[in-house]
Amino acid sequence: MTLFKVLRFACITALAVNLAAEELTGEAIMQTMDDTRRSTNDSSFTRLKLSSCTFGVNKGRIACAERPRVKVLESVSINHGKDNKDTKSLSITLEPPAERGIGMLTYGYDEAGRNNQTWLYLSALGRVKRIAGGDSDEETEPASIFGSEFTTEDTDTGKLAEYSFKRLEDTTQSGRKVWKVESLPNVERAKKSRYSRTVHYIDQERYVVLRSEMYDKYGKEIKRVMASRVELVNDNWLARSVTMMNLVSNRLSNMAFVEIYTDLDINDAFLTQRTLTDNAYRETGLEALRAQTQ
Amino acid sequence: MLKRLFLYPFAMLLLLLATMVAGQGTKPEDPAGDPFGDELNFDDDLFGDAFDSPETTKEPSWLDGFTVRLSQQLFWQVNNHSVEPIPGLRIPKQADLENNRLGLNFRYQNAFAPGWLLQSTGQARWYWKDDYEYADNNDNIDTEYRINELYLQRSFGQQSLKFGRQTVVWGETVGNSVLDVINHTEFRDFTIIDIEDARLNQWMLVWDVFSTDSQWSSFINLYPEFNPVALSGSPFYANTGYNIGDYKRGSESLFEVGTQWRKSFESSDISFMAAYLYENQLSYDYPSEGYGDALAKNNDFALLGFSANRAIGKLLLNLDLAISLGVLPNQSSFPGMTAQGSSLEIKKDQIGASLGFEYAISSDQSISLGIQANKLIDEREGLVSGQVPVNEGVFGSWLVRYRNALSNGNLVVSSTLQGDLEADSLFVALGVDYSVNDHWAVAGQIISTTANQQTPMVLFDADVRVGVTVTYSF
Repeated sequence: MTLFKVLRFACITALAVNLAAEELTGEAIMQTMDDTRRSTNDSSFTRLKLSSCTFGVNKGRIACAERPRVKVLESVSINHGKDNKDTKSLSITLEPPAERGIGMLTYGYDEAGRNNQTWLYLSALGRVKRIAGGDSDEETEPASIFGSEFTTEDTDTGKLAEYSFKRLEDTTQSGRKVWKVESLPNVERAKKSRYSRTVHYIDQERYVVLRSEMYDKYGKEIKRVMASRVELVNDNWLARSVTMMNLVSNRLSNMAFVEIYTDLDINDAFLTQRTLTDNAYRETGLEALRAQTQ
Repeated sequence: MLKRLFLYPFAMLLLLLATMVAGQGTKPEDPAGDPFGDELNFDDDLFGDAFDSPETTKEPSWLDGFTVRLSQQLFWQVNNHSVEPIPGLRIPKQADLENNRLGLNFRYQNAFAPGWLLQSTGQARWYWKDDYEYADNNDNIDTEYRINELYLQRSFGQQSLKFGRQTVVWGETVGNSVLDVINHTEFRDFTIIDIEDARLNQWMLVWDVFSTDSQWSSFINLYPEFNPVALSGSPFYANTGYNIGDYKRGSESLFEVGTQWRKSFESSDISFMAAYLYENQLSYDYPSEGYGDALAKNNDFALLGFSANRAIGKLLLNLDLAISLGVLPNQSSFPGMTAQGSSLEIKKDQIGASLGFEYAISSDQSISLGIQANKLIDEREGLVSGQVPVNEGVFGSWLVRYRNALSNGNLVVSSTLQGDLEADSLFVALGVDYSVNDHWAVAGQIISTTANQQTPMVLFDADVRVGVTVTYSF
């Protein structure tokens, strides 16, 4: 562990302890939680497993009612720009076989009104294609992430100014002390959100969301997130297993961070359109990243 | 026409039924009541095996690079009717099974050393009873094998070299670009309606030079190939009384060469390109003796092009411009079709443009439109009295595609409409694709064609086709 990492970890821990000691506002809790989550994206290489199924409840326990559909993805991401709040990310689909090799490059911008940019590569298409729609937080509705119950709205970081937060009560979740924080979108955000209200259960020590409840405009809970396997990954607390339950369609998706490595040495040039089309370059770059994780 | 108006609701009903059947998943165990109380027990081990994934622990093997798809396809022409290609000549068309075939497609990719990659795709087909290729093989099961893509790639520094069978795609307009002419195509039957499926690979050396926001891409093709002739027995085969064969290569050496420069800006990409090419579609002269083999002739030409796109929120605008110097004015505007024996051997220059847009109606729905228009410069210059070019004035085609992904993308409803600018033909395809699980998928398709006597497509006027394909991937 480098000196920088040690200092950063110490600072985050000290901050968490300090904040916990004070009477924290909902905004302060969410800001710290968001910063923690954002830092897990920086210079990261991730292998994700997305499993989705229709579920049922039997004797109070949730179970898949069918064989889960599984997608395996490798993702590379860096933060950049002003205050390191913009992102460049590349996702390559490994499974299922019919979707193997599909690549997507996204440049995301924190600045309000600045459209994200997305390019897609399909071997059948034979070229890189710019994608319109689903690329702008300002103009589009949340899109499903690789066909799962997770949407872009659920995984977005930043833009906290578009919400108001209220700390509700202290309670426990999965045996951990948590804050319950209510999040309400402002008028503009509400127009493009599927949720009128969200209640987060945030681990008081680790600043990780352990549970979230999403409500529609009629006050009905429509989605619930449950997180588990919270582990310290490269100095960041991370829920490595996150399950999104759609309580309307009775379908759930689990996002498992099978492997995640941060603070890697990732060349900016790797997050360009070349990586979508130049398979030899891409595989060489991915091998180099895998070698860094050893 | 009226008959088809009745067939459309029937087709829609079939699609609706397919959608309903496809949407029936396994029912939840206990959906009644309010099971989602605060004390709901969530089983943390539900996806625990995700972290015991075997692919992270097993030894890599060269076989890992294979992806295989098996598909069984059935396609019927279901409308009993007749066509009248020329006044007074009626040709009856009976409802019939056209395609009954098993296909195996593979894709192989192996980055066997740093900077090196081998990639290949190929296919095998088995034509069963009642398939038109079965009938053409004297009522015997016919087989076909083909390597589509096979190239070796070496990437180093800012450059990449790819040698082997591959495709080069130019242009931005989806499915209908005036610049997408580098590779030859084969629209063998109505199961291949998209240019993305019809494009054939050629032996080429492709050299790419990359920088942060731009790219030079150049190719040389030392063995240009041409659109294959229609297979005997296929829907596009027309018995002319003489043989239409492939191009007979002599001692002449053919080659194609081209280069493209592409640059990306925020919300936009632009490209400039230039190439020396052969027209993919051969032209044919009648046999000199009136029978035997038609004489296939190639034609070289120069292409200058420009393409651009612009993203505005949910809208993507596309533009392609092409100047073709020295083309033969005997091409049909409909893909895969050509006018034979037009005897117009005067080379002409042609300008072409493709305009289009793609609009994301929502995160699940999208629609695209592409219009291709061409115009010969000085089209009547050099013609003798009475000679008429096949395409006069502005000619071209249009293409509309709509796609709606339902059930988190497991069910995709799509439609394609295509026609020519003269409104002589209309092609409508409706499709439903359902992913049963990570390996199995089912697709249904209904295709209708309408055409008048101004186009060779008249041979398919009032045809209605229904097809189903079952696919297993691993």
